[in-house]
Amino acid sequence: MPEETPAAPQHPPSQHGPSHHSSGGPGGRPPGGPGGPGGRPGGPHRRGKRNYVRKKKVCRFCVDKIDLIDYKKPEMLQSFVQERGKILPRRITGTCARHQRWLTVAIKRAQNIALLPFASEL
Amino acid sequence: MEERLYDLIFICRPDTPETEIDKLIATLQHAVDEKQAKLEKIEKWGTRRLAYRVKRLREGFFVYLLLRSSHGELLKELERRLRVSDAVVKYLTIRLDEEIKRQEKFTKRRERRAARRPRKPAAAPAPLGAPAAPEQAAAKG
Repeated sequence: MPEETPAAPQHPPSQHGPSHHSSGGPGGRPPGGPGGPGGRPGGPHRRGKRNYVRKKKVCRFCVDKIDLIDYKKPEMLQSFVQERGKILPRRITGTCARHQRWLTVAIKRAQNIALLPFASEL
Repeated sequence: MEERLYDLIFICRPDTPETEIDKLIATLQHAVDEKQAKLEKIEKWGTRRLAYRVKRLREGFFVYLLLRSSHGELLKELERRLRVSDAVVKYLTIRLDEEIKRQEKFTKRRERRAARRPRKPAAAPAPLGAPAAPEQAAAKG
């Protein structure tokens, strides 16, 4: 099959840019589920929820007190974009709603003047 | 008419001689002067890699202009000139003044908020003492 080989490198492990994705915690159980009494056959039932510590993300623009997100600085915008050029969602970057709104505008402008890719070619 | 602020970026072919780019900027400057507008900034960013291919080019010479004008028509004229020019492969105009106004609003608001940041501590322990007293009285009686 000739199609198999080019398909393989299409999914690099770095699909999600920043590494702090929530479900990567210990265990790998979906968070929030109460588990239930019959959750684990054999062995002592562990009490309470699994306490994985999620680091609180803060909006980088709020921290740096940036009110005007400049579309002319692609290096800065790059960190809010996936490798292929997709805009990262707020839930991953931790940007606040207001700044995310402006950020998308800035990214789209940068795309229009070829400072950022719409979708980078492989 | 109120003044407006615009960003004007255009990309030239990387192989155009710089004198030609200067000439192009001069013609734009001339058109700007005619309408009593002002070019507040003229920056040549130089040759940069393009994020994607434009007219089969991978690189381009970026020029950035900051324009203050009260004639919207002027933008039309400038864009027409850029479109006609052979060297220019891409251009973008963005109106900035409203965004800057919005930004100033938020900066001011944050400053105001920071000014009254030292909040007084919550007066929580006061109501706790009150219900304790009648309970004691009931135990005695």
